Amino acid sequence: MKVVTGVVGNDIHVVANRLIDISLEERGFEVFNLGVNTYLEEFMDAVIETDADVLLISSLNGEAEGWCRDLQILKSQYDFKDVTFMIGGNLGVGEMNPELLVPKFQKYGFDLVFHQVDLNEGLDRLEEFLEAR
Amino acid sequence: MSKLFIDIGSTYFKVAQNGKIDQYFRDFNKNIFDDLNSKCADLVSQYAKEDIFICSSANGGLSTLIIGLTNSFSLKYAINTAFNSGINIIDTVLYPKIEGESVPVELIDVVIVVGGIDSVKKVFDEKLLTYLEKVNYQNIVYVGSTKNAAFLEENLKNIVVLENIISNKLKIQEEALKEYLTDLYQADIVGKEDIKQLYEITSNQIFSTPYIVNRALPKIHERLDVADPFIVVDIGGATTDIHYSRDLVNDNILTENGYDRLVFKKLGVFKSRESLVHTAKNNEFVFELLEHLNVTENILEEQSEAATRVLMQLAIFLVLYKVSKHHGDYVELNLDILNSIVLTGGITKVLTQDDVDDIILFFYRKILHFHHAPTILLDSDYEIWTYGIKE
Amino acid sequence: MSSLLQREREIIVKNEYIDRFDFDEVENFIKGASKDLFISHKFKTSNEILVQPRGGFPTYDKVFQLYEEFKAANVDVLPLTIDSNTRLNDYASAKKMLALSEENDVDMLNGYPLVNHGYRTTRKMITHYNTPVSLRHGTPDARLLVETALASGIFEIEGGPITYLLPYSKNFPMDKAFLYWKYVERVCAKYSELNEPINRESFGPLSATLQAPAIVIVIQLLEMLLSLEEGVKSFSVSFSQTGSMLQDIVSSNVIKKLSRKYADKFGHHDATINLVYHQWMGAFPYNKEYSDSLINTSTVIAAMVGADKIITKTRNEAFGIPTKEANALAVANVKYTLGMLKGLPKVSDEEEEENLTNEVDEILEAVFNDGADTLWRQVFNSIKKGYIDIPFSPHIINANEVITIRDPQSNIRILKKGNLPISDRSFAFEQSKIKLAEGQKVVDKIIQDIGIML
Repeated sequence: MKVVTGVVGNDIHVVANRLIDISLEERGFEVFNLGVNTYLEEFMDAVIETDADVLLISSLNGEAEGWCRDLQILKSQYDFKDVTFMIGGNLGVGEMNPELLVPKFQKYGFDLVFHQVDLNEGLDRLEEFLEAR
Repeated sequence: MSKLFIDIGSTYFKVAQNGKIDQYFRDFNKNIFDDLNSKCADLVSQYAKEDIFICSSANGGLSTLIIGLTNSFSLKYAINTAFNSGINIIDTVLYPKIEGESVPVELIDVVIVVGGIDSVKKVFDEKLLTYLEKVNYQNIVYVGSTKNAAFLEENLKNIVVLENIISNKLKIQEEALKEYLTDLYQADIVGKEDIKQLYEITSNQIFSTPYIVNRALPKIHERLDVADPFIVVDIGGATTDIHYSRDLVNDNILTENGYDRLVFKKLGVFKSRESLVHTAKNNEFVFELLEHLNVTENILEEQSEAATRVLMQLAIFLVLYKVSKHHGDYVELNLDILNSIVLTGGITKVLTQDDVDDIILFFYRKILHFHHAPTILLDSDYEIWTYGIKE
Repeated sequence: MSSLLQREREIIVKNEYIDRFDFDEVENFIKGASKDLFISHKFKTSNEILVQPRGGFPTYDKVFQLYEEFKAANVDVLPLTIDSNTRLNDYASAKKMLALSEENDVDMLNGYPLVNHGYRTTRKMITHYNTPVSLRHGTPDARLLVETALASGIFEIEGGPITYLLPYSKNFPMDKAFLYWKYVERVCAKYSELNEPINRESFGPLSATLQAPAIVIVIQLLEMLLSLEEGVKSFSVSFSQTGSMLQDIVSSNVIKKLSRKYADKFGHHDATINLVYHQWMGAFPYNKEYSDSLINTSTVIAAMVGADKIITKTRNEAFGIPTKEANALAVANVKYTLGMLKGLPKVSDEEEEENLTNEVDEILEAVFNDGADTLWRQVFNSIKKGYIDIPFSPHIINANEVITIRDPQSNIRILKKGNLPISDRSFAFEQSKIKLAEGQKVVDKIIQDIGIML
């Protein structure tokens, strides 16, 4: 399984990014890590160039929403029907209600949304999701 | 023994020996070889074949059509490599949208097909073949996924397959394509016969001039008072070239050279004069600019020395405008941190230091709201190319 | 005709944000500057560990007041931390934010925009306190910043082409960083001939997260050599508290020994080399008493390793930028603790020292064997090849193959070596120390090891 991952937008959380990379590799994924400060178009293009199965975007600084709103539009331009879209990290700025965050990001086009969820749990759920597919 | 350097331009020959540069107007009734011989046969005969070095930008340079899978990787990497290899004319097609794309009418010297890391099987299919049937091209090269190469080799005669330009970590691997493109002058290109004839007087490889200029840039400080980051602007008759320090762009490409190149096809002052005027008229600052230069719009239609001068100043302004923040197309340069601007090419023969200082300061004031412009240098002897030609 | 360097300098200082730079005046100023402004002089004449805090504010007045607090706490070296806009050469934004900070009395910048303040203004403050000031920034292209700093009387410049790039930037071209730092070294070298030497200091903490001592030391030695080869005469190598006292002691013994060895090997016998120790640079506990304990322990270690300078943290570290009072209190406490730690015995662990020495020698040998014709290009190529690879760097040039974790004694060990050119023997030594619990995930171990002080 191929996974494209990285941190979206003006976000420099390199430690979290590298931990996701290491963790995915430990679980047997082939990882394409675009690193910090990555833009949505680059993520999508990397999925196309690698023919990836999963796109895992992380965001730690709470700015994910602004960057990911256009996901649906970009998804509609190409054939991504076999790709699992996942986002995790700290998805809302300030005192956001997590109950509302998940459906919001699902509406943007993510299959899996994890707000302030432990890394291992998030990746466990990804594996379950991929298995069920 | 000293060496003889010859640059074949679209309007001039430039011949340099011992740091002295002479220029000769091209005679378009003769082919390049005969023309050169009629003007410098004596000089050429004094040198052994291995001491003569030639570069050329004649006939507008080579033209390319790049068909790539995505903007962020395959197209970006191939465009970057092509420009740095000295290719002038670049058209691109984003492969997923190829069915709606128009076909270039001109003869294309080389088509580059690129996309996918090596493990990806199906990138290109019948859609590519259908499109290419309509394209008039001389050469075709593939630098995409190796798993897709067999399909292309079966269906496209003479396709050259090289190492994938995209590594398995999505990084650029430019060497194979760069070597192929810089060698094109030696390859069998119909229409460039007169360049090939020049091998009668040199045993060294003939490169394209922009490639040579690009190669000269790491050493430019030794000759000219230039500080990084800088740009070199070469405004020619048909195209305008910019070579720029890589730290002016915010881009995730990791290449060997510290300088990249970019070409504007339609901002030349002779061959593409009409489109230059058209672009100028559509620029919101042009009337302020003309007023600043104390001329009226009518001058754009005139054929005079004064008109040429204004056009060249316009070209400088438009080129800076097109690479500046928010207007950047293929790249956006951070002109705020620029330390030096070098101007070279034909305009250095027409514009004075005051003319260029004036226009660049106008740009910095108007567009960037600075009071000050970078250090500006005119390469009036047009000697930059001679730094790069030496190994 | 003036030299190539001088001609480049003339271009660099002709900048939108610079009010006429007068090289002759600056040269005269440095020639006649008080010896007390030179840390190189202080290193020579003092037997004690110099104490330097961290800090910087946007406005002149706030820095002035910060220095006043520090002086009252008997500080040895003052810091001048530069804001992040200036680090990116974005003087326009720095100017805007400085104006807002001045008007509204809120700090809109995370440091002092030195270029915008200019050397004529800043010099007044530096000469007023007549104490060495150290420039702390993180700038890949620090040419104008350093010109301004030196002209202001700031005679210690931190950073380097590797240590100020790999931890901070994603895509600034590294070859350019080498060339820009070469300029900085040359200017420092030139001014060093006028009075006491300008001191250059490398930034050993890197990304401050599980850095293997071998890699840190290799980078320290390479930045030292790149600096000395341009004529710098006083250089500080540095590293930060690893989280293992043993590893700190071993690291310091090895870096002292090898920095002298390689400096001499390259013919720089007359260069002075100093050792700087950074108190814990990783995540601090939210409990301020624990922070105090961490800071005290690291002060003890600094004394044990015989550092020439210690760079301090505060008990407020987990809560953002400390107030000037809290910062000064930290300085006073460290000075107090150091007062108890004189004449400590030398300790070491021979086996560990031998292994670390071998690793550093092995990596450096591979770097020097690169075919390039200049040292900087050998280093550049080695980084591209992953011979030098730091954990947790955002930069696209960094290989990101090396993985480090702690052993049961908290020493940082190399679990995955990537392309590090260390011998099988050295790597086997690293591996022999690692104990992963049954079924424990590497990533969980790393998370635990990063957060060791929480």
